[in-house]
Amino acid sequence: MRSVLLALLAKESAHGYELKQALEQTFGPAYPSPNIGQIYVTLGRLEKDGLVRGEDVTQSNRPNKRVYELTPAGREAVAEWLDARSEGPRLRSEFFTKLALVPLTGAADRMTLINRQRRHCLNLMRGLSQPGQPAQGGNPIASLLVEGARLHLQADLEWLERCQEALT
Amino acid sequence: MSPAEKPAPDAAMIRTKDLVKVHHSDGTDVHAIRGIDLLVHPGEFVAVMGPSGSGKSTVLHLLAGLVPATSGEIWLRGSRLSDLTEAERAVLRRRHIGVVFQFFNLISNMSVADNVELPALLAGANPKQARERREYLLEELGLSDRADASPARLSGGQQQRVALARALANEPSLLLADEPTGNLDSTNTRDVVRLLEQVHDQGQTILLVTHDARVASAADRVISLFDGMIVDDADVRPPSDNKNAIGSILDL
Amino acid sequence: MHATIRWIRADLRTRPGQAVLSVSVVAGVVTALILATTMLAGAMDPWKSVFARSHGAHVWIHARPGTNLSSLSDMSGVTGVSGPFQTAVATAVHEGQRAPLELRAMGSELPEVGRPVLAKGRWLDPARPDGVVLERTLARTLRAGVGDSLSVRGLDGRRYDLPVAGIADASDQGPYPSVTPGIAWVLPGVMNSIEPKTASTELLVGLKLSDPSASSFFVQHVVTVLGGDHVDRVSTWQQARASMETDSRLLGLLMGMFGVVALIAAALAIGNATGGRILSLLQDIALLKALGFTPAQIRRMLLLEQTCLGIAGVVAGSVLGSVLTDSSLSQRLFGSVTGVAAAPLSFGRLALIAIATLLAVVVATLLPAWRGSRVSPTSTVTAEPPSGRLSRFARVALLVRLPPALVLGARDAFTRRMRAAITVGGLAIPMVMVTIALGCWSTLDNFEDHPEQIGLAGALVAHPVGLIPYEASAVIAADKDVTAVYPEVQMDALLPGQTRTIQARALGTSKRPYPFPVQEGRMYAKPGEAVAGQGLLDLLQVHVGDRVRLTIGGAPVIVHIVGRTIEPSLSGEVLSFGMDTLDQAVRTTPSPSYRIVLRHGASVETARKRLLSESQDRLDIQAAQNPAQRLFVVRVVIFGLVIVLALICVANLLTAASVGLRDHMRDIVVLRAMGLTPRQVTTTLVSGTSVLALIAVIAGIGGGLAMSTRLIDLQGRTSGVGAGIGRAPSVLELVVAAVVALALAALMAFMLARKATNIDVREVSRF
Repeated sequence: MRSVLLALLAKESAHGYELKQALEQTFGPAYPSPNIGQIYVTLGRLEKDGLVRGEDVTQSNRPNKRVYELTPAGREAVAEWLDARSEGPRLRSEFFTKLALVPLTGAADRMTLINRQRRHCLNLMRGLSQPGQPAQGGNPIASLLVEGARLHLQADLEWLERCQEALT
Repeated sequence: MSPAEKPAPDAAMIRTKDLVKVHHSDGTDVHAIRGIDLLVHPGEFVAVMGPSGSGKSTVLHLLAGLVPATSGEIWLRGSRLSDLTEAERAVLRRRHIGVVFQFFNLISNMSVADNVELPALLAGANPKQARERREYLLEELGLSDRADASPARLSGGQQQRVALARALANEPSLLLADEPTGNLDSTNTRDVVRLLEQVHDQGQTILLVTHDARVASAADRVISLFDGMIVDDADVRPPSDNKNAIGSILDL
Repeated sequence: MHATIRWIRADLRTRPGQAVLSVSVVAGVVTALILATTMLAGAMDPWKSVFARSHGAHVWIHARPGTNLSSLSDMSGVTGVSGPFQTAVATAVHEGQRAPLELRAMGSELPEVGRPVLAKGRWLDPARPDGVVLERTLARTLRAGVGDSLSVRGLDGRRYDLPVAGIADASDQGPYPSVTPGIAWVLPGVMNSIEPKTASTELLVGLKLSDPSASSFFVQHVVTVLGGDHVDRVSTWQQARASMETDSRLLGLLMGMFGVVALIAAALAIGNATGGRILSLLQDIALLKALGFTPAQIRRMLLLEQTCLGIAGVVAGSVLGSVLTDSSLSQRLFGSVTGVAAAPLSFGRLALIAIATLLAVVVATLLPAWRGSRVSPTSTVTAEPPSGRLSRFARVALLVRLPPALVLGARDAFTRRMRAAITVGGLAIPMVMVTIALGCWSTLDNFEDHPEQIGLAGALVAHPVGLIPYEASAVIAADKDVTAVYPEVQMDALLPGQTRTIQARALGTSKRPYPFPVQEGRMYAKPGEAVAGQGLLDLLQVHVGDRVRLTIGGAPVIVHIVGRTIEPSLSGEVLSFGMDTLDQAVRTTPSPSYRIVLRHGASVETARKRLLSESQDRLDIQAAQNPAQRLFVVRVVIFGLVIVLALICVANLLTAASVGLRDHMRDIVVLRAMGLTPRQVTTTLVSGTSVLALIAVIAGIGGGLAMSTRLIDLQGRTSGVGAGIGRAPSVLELVVAAVVALALAALMAFMLARKATNIDVREVSRF
């Protein structure tokens, strides 16, 4: 969340509510409605760390709002974040551990485990292709995100097939 | 078989009992299907998944009556396929079954319009009815302007859409599709899947064989085949615990 | 049914080339068959149509004047009588041509039975009492047309100029000059002025019989009733028919064979084409079955499509064939060769041809259709060639280090054995026919180049007119181009049992015999010995070495047949011996004519003209009839039919090449990917087809050579001419035929291969 807010502030100064709107606009429904409280908490921490600078602006008939802008250190942090390597593909390591250990427990067999995981993946996939979801158009960023998720699920399902072939 | 075991004609669209298929090739027997019991009700949308060689396509060919089973029984709308001659199975297909394959779905020497009208004509419709049905289907699929084209002039996605129209031309009770998106890119795949969902919403029973989870997830029920046997048979529904499933993907 | 028709329509629309090919093959065959049958009907049995139209009599009797013929009409078995008519001998002269005539006196009303069939002009008319009607072949030989003035000289030498009123066909005698004298009809008045002496005339009467097959027996009966000394000559309808046939039997045999072969070749071509088509449709057929077409429907559909194409072809062929046979050109051709107009084909025969061809189409479609209907509906890959292994042939090719493209081609040729066999058969059978045709051709060439081998050493025949024999032979022998002169006397001889007259011919002498081409036995060497044609041996049912008794000029003669000669005239029913034999048998021999042998290479026509002037027109000189001239139409027919066969072959090759191509579409892409140049790919495809063509050509020529000479000799034997006329085609002709066939095959394959090497890889990878 910190990097996201810093990246949004890199364009122009904004107050908390504007940042919430920008988040919604960019990620669309792919991002669970950001909690305004969480945004303010995060902004407070960033200010404490000297990455943003807050300034109160007085408004008539409304409470003051606090507009934030990036400090040079904040700008550096954004550049650093963009430069850093993003994390590579993640296996569902927890499932894999279960799969590896299940014969030792004697509590269930691998086929059951694989089937359950497959159902889970399929259900997730179904959820991603529900009508009204961004895959049907609209926000392109969100569509790509969903597409990515589906492809990951597809890969997971294929991997499950390989597990099935190799281990049962 | 005792009468009690015999399913009532209206109860099931497809019922199989201990279905076995052995291919003979190069002197060795390949057990493609090793005992499958399957029940599909009218209106269901079933996907059959499994790794290649698991017998997915063989199941579909058996259900369509395109190849005879080695042993076991298949009932389609209450008729037992093994009771029918090859010609009777052909008649059953033309009346009640629409088939879509991965490749070669269209008769190369006929125009798109002729391809779509052919099954309707075969099922006994007169040319006028067949034409109206074709016009409706091609309109639905957005291919009205390609009616006179030769199949070779269509893109892969267009061909599969026409194939779907052709399979639906005789208003079949059962649509069988064998890897209908097998050679399509993701955009075309999405189009075909959307069409399947549409006809399913109108009450069409569909059994579809695929290795593509994205296609399979459109079905209400996914059957997993492994080594000629059903290893899982699950209803698919979107996760109910999270109303906004997509929202859970992005973890900021 | 709607679905079936829809598919057929679509198929025809998308592959019009193949459809046109199928229709053309069928149409070509039907045309060829119609032409052949029309010629057969007209040429093989010209007698039949004339006989029917003339209400012909079955037996004709030339009786001495004054014979009481009234008893004949009361005889049992006689259903009609023609005549009696008075006849007289005369000579016609027209444009330097002389012809012996039998004048027949007939009224202006045509008789009920045995009436001449008017072909041109008008019949005799009392308003123009001096008119004459000529028999068609006589008119043709004299080059006399309606309106011409014909000089007729009676026995006493007086000349009458008679206008030709008409030209007619007669059914009682064969074509002039094979049969002499020629027939001319005049009114009784004209007859009386040309031949006032009744004693020199004869009476001719024709009898229609209730049982025509008993004519031989009937003639014997008539001779008994009238008394042998009252009967000069008798002839039966069988003789008349046979004498008309002789010209054309070879023709008929050829046509019949060509027809059957064309049908077989066409069936193979159609089978090949259908098979190829169905092979290319396997994908679609599998899909159609998945859609719910039953196997029976698939079979019906393919059969229906081919039958429709077949019907189209039959209709097109019938129209074309009818137009061709109706055309004035073909009519003239017939008329000039056979002496009668070819009757248009009867509906029954036309229907027979149509049905036979359609049947061939159906049979040729059945097998591929049946195989097509058995395609598995799940076979979503194209039909693979059954074996990818190298054939033994290809392995040998590899061993002797042929270029790889050739080896690949050789392998391709045999991957489908059945189709390879059909292709080879479809080419080899026409090649057999072509070889036989070339054999006929060189036999005819041999007739013309070496007339002495068929008994025509004497190119000219001279009849002295007002020259005594010694003078005549002296005048002739003095000519610079003449190498030999042989006296000749032709007389009718009555056979034992007296039912038939044949020609007895004294030619040369025992010491200096005429150079007959003796095929069996030896030449006559002393009085009482004779040689005969095959026709006579068959007629008398005797063999070389037998003795026969016959009556020549009223005197009984026994001759010893010591040899068989090639005898091209009168169906081989000719007995030849030396003048000395005749002198011994007959008290007064008629004055002879002369057979003149010319120096090799001398012009016959020049020599004829010169001899005419040297003898101051006291010799009537005519060129001997060479059967090759009459058989000229055979060449026309051979030529036409070879073209039809060639077209069928081309269709066959086209199919073979395109099927080969389709089989290897994918291979071609792989081969190209492997680095074969387009030229090598082309070589692969061309060599595949060429190997098959080579095998077919070798087999066809081999088979043809084995059959050709034997067939022609068999034909010679049955026609009475006798075996020994057949000649094998020349090596040069065979080489040309083989090279043309191979070049055609390579060309077809090359054209298709060029197309194939330009195929878009994307297109093919879809297969």
